[in-house]
Amino acid sequence: MAKAFTSGRRGITGHLERAERELLRNLFADLIGMLEPQTPADADPLAALIGLDLDVQAPTDPALRRLLPDVVRDDAGAALEFRQLTERSLRESKVGALRAASLDLESEKIVLDAEHAKLWSMALNDVRLVLAERLAIKDEEDADRVHGVTDWSKADDVESYLSLVYNFITWLQESIVQAMLHELNTAK
Amino acid sequence: MSVSTLPAADRDLSTHEHHAPEIPWELVVWNDPVNLMSYVSYVFQSYFGYSEQRAATLMLQVHREGKSAVAHGSKEKMEAHAVAMHGFGLWATVQKGGLGG
Repeated sequence: MAKAFTSGRRGITGHLERAERELLRNLFADLIGMLEPQTPADADPLAALIGLDLDVQAPTDPALRRLLPDVVRDDAGAALEFRQLTERSLRESKVGALRAASLDLESEKIVLDAEHAKLWSMALNDVRLVLAERLAIKDEEDADRVHGVTDWSKADDVESYLSLVYNFITWLQESIVQAMLHELNTAK
Repeated sequence: MSVSTLPAADRDLSTHEHHAPEIPWELVVWNDPVNLMSYVSYVFQSYFGYSEQRAATLMLQVHREGKSAVAHGSKEKMEAHAVAMHGFGLWATVQKGGLGG
């Protein structure tokens, strides 16, 4: 079984078994596949320099839309204009966090410095956002329904399997965040 | 001297009258059933440098009222914050201040 991450002298450490690391590696890879920009950076050097990408449209996949939300409400034009300037770099930074977390999965004992702990919390949060969309978690009631699925021996369909995975990732993220909060509030 | 400065002061006043007061923009963070309360607090503390107490207050406002205006300032600054929030996976938007955020 995984051991919760805790804050200590050598950073934030936790233990993950091989199967758990394999699961995380696959989830991170799935998200990297979703988030990697689909078109090459603009051939126009100035456009590439400022990150402008006129091919960008608001994503149609609701999970991707949650990862890359509009910056303004009720103004699709302004939201798209901003998206064309920022979405590529947002995708790249999310992919960067997912890759960094994936590379930290080499051994059973995982030791994270402050920066990697932050990247892990971001990567796990994005995984949870995507799983939540697949599990149709729209409100607190849905979240409670998923949270109530705890028995791996009864996971005989995709929904209950995904719920268990979601709960595991939630637990993992919570333990990292608690460790980071501990470090933040004892450093002061 | 006092005579020559007076008209200048008058001109200043008249130009001020023609400028609408600067309306600050705000960054609104919206509630969702996925993001952990602890994580939202962590983001508010680590990114904005808010105290534990202030971060908790804003986080609870998001949680209970559905949203909270967590930062105020220029449009550009709020947009940069919004991108950072999206990087963390928080659902944030930018709007003109005073729209009830």
